[in-house]
Amino acid sequence: MKRSVLIYQSIALITLAVAFILFWSFSKGTPFVESGLTFDETAADSYSVLQENLYRMVPILLGSIFFSIAIAFYLEEWLAETSWIYGIIAQQITILASIPSLLYGLLGLYFFVLQSEKGSFFTHALTFVLLVMPITIQSTQKAIRGVDISVREAAFALGANRWRVVVDHVFPNAFPTIVAGICTAISRVLAITALIIIVYIWKEHTLQSGDTFNIPSSVIVLLSFALLSSVISSFLEKKTNLT
Amino acid sequence: METSNHSIETQNLSLWYGDFQALIDVSVNIPAGKITSLIGPSGCGKTTLLRCFNRVNERYGNVTTKGEIKILGKNIYDPDVSLLELRKTVGMVFQRPNPLPISVYDNILFGLRIHSPFGSLTRSQSDEIVEEALTSVFLWDDLKDKLKTRATSLQLEQQQKLCIARLLPLKPQIILMDEPCSALDAKGTLAVEELMSVLAGTYTFLIVTHNMAQARRVSSECIYMFLGELIEHRETQALFETPEHPKTADYVQMRYG
Repeated sequence: MKRSVLIYQSIALITLAVAFILFWSFSKGTPFVESGLTFDETAADSYSVLQENLYRMVPILLGSIFFSIAIAFYLEEWLAETSWIYGIIAQQITILASIPSLLYGLLGLYFFVLQSEKGSFFTHALTFVLLVMPITIQSTQKAIRGVDISVREAAFALGANRWRVVVDHVFPNAFPTIVAGICTAISRVLAITALIIIVYIWKEHTLQSGDTFNIPSSVIVLLSFALLSSVISSFLEKKTNLT
Repeated sequence: METSNHSIETQNLSLWYGDFQALIDVSVNIPAGKITSLIGPSGCGKTTLLRCFNRVNERYGNVTTKGEIKILGKNIYDPDVSLLELRKTVGMVFQRPNPLPISVYDNILFGLRIHSPFGSLTRSQSDEIVEEALTSVFLWDDLKDKLKTRATSLQLEQQQKLCIARLLPLKPQIILMDEPCSALDAKGTLAVEELMSVLAGTYTFLIVTHNMAQARRVSSECIYMFLGELIEHRETQALFETPEHPKTADYVQMRYG
């Protein structure tokens, strides 16, 4: 009950925020919504470099999600029962995942904006991976632990080895929760990306031309996707809680 | 051969969970093709002993075992023993019915699919096996039109019977049951008990139960355990009517606790 109230509240807040940004950008004129992703002749070059880098982040994002899932399964299914290292690793991941995304945003800001001439693709990728992986690993771990012990016992007692238990039973049962966790991670990334773009454009644009600041369409698109994915994630969580 | 009479033999079996000794020098012979029941107060090691026989205990880590367990004459702690084969020979039914959250049909075939090479089961063979397994637990008439439904949506009694049925295609020799009826109502209990009596003979049953009336009804031999030790192992009738050990007498005559 309390939890669903929280979810609705956060959805309402995000919706309000997006509505406000949309209203603001439309009422101030919509040069960026019309002109697509670039907004200014002067900043176009460096902005498109940033844009290109962002597109290159997509495979990084997908890759880190894939690796996060693999790592979570390795930790929970193989390492947890056999090694003391498990406790240490799990703790580190919890710490990383509990760092507010704003700090990652500042880290990204540093690499993307202040270091944009020097900042390499590698440093950009690192920021993304740092942001996405701990939270995805942690939510996948929770999903795996959420699979009822009776399912494992039944499969093991029938002679299934660990691989079969994981592939045939644990993964399918944990899947909706895993996807919900990924959606949460992605909405975090998108929100941070939007923040970085805003600050970047603010730096490039207002410092150079002194004009008033407008929100580019890409930010609106990003925030809309962030909203969508958080809605999907809360929907999936609800659905898995029912069964 | 002596082994032909006994499905399970243990010699001085001791087991520790960390520092706590859960089984103390248990030596027991379980007769083949009969139903043997394990009774005793909670925490006396009944379930632990049962779980030793297909080595599911090992999954919990922190478990030390000493002594010998022979199943069908073969020591199950020998290095050449395959856990997969062992668990195929020794099936297990749990306290809470735990059908896998897949269809009834796939539940029955899951065990068999693990143990046979990929693609070696034809469709008609599978259908036949499913029908046979469900028929032998008297579920076929109820479920023949529901083979594709999720097994977890069945009634508890049907779920528990299904859990027995899915062992049968593997042709186990021994079926271990950990309080199989504690989650069922009187009708379900009766149905499972009837099923056990029909299947006994083909399979060796070892059943843990808190219900002494049930132990009396279904089992031909009975083992009383107390605080990790085996106190008495005799024919059920004799154990209940003329217990030799005072502790057994206290328990079966409800003077315990």
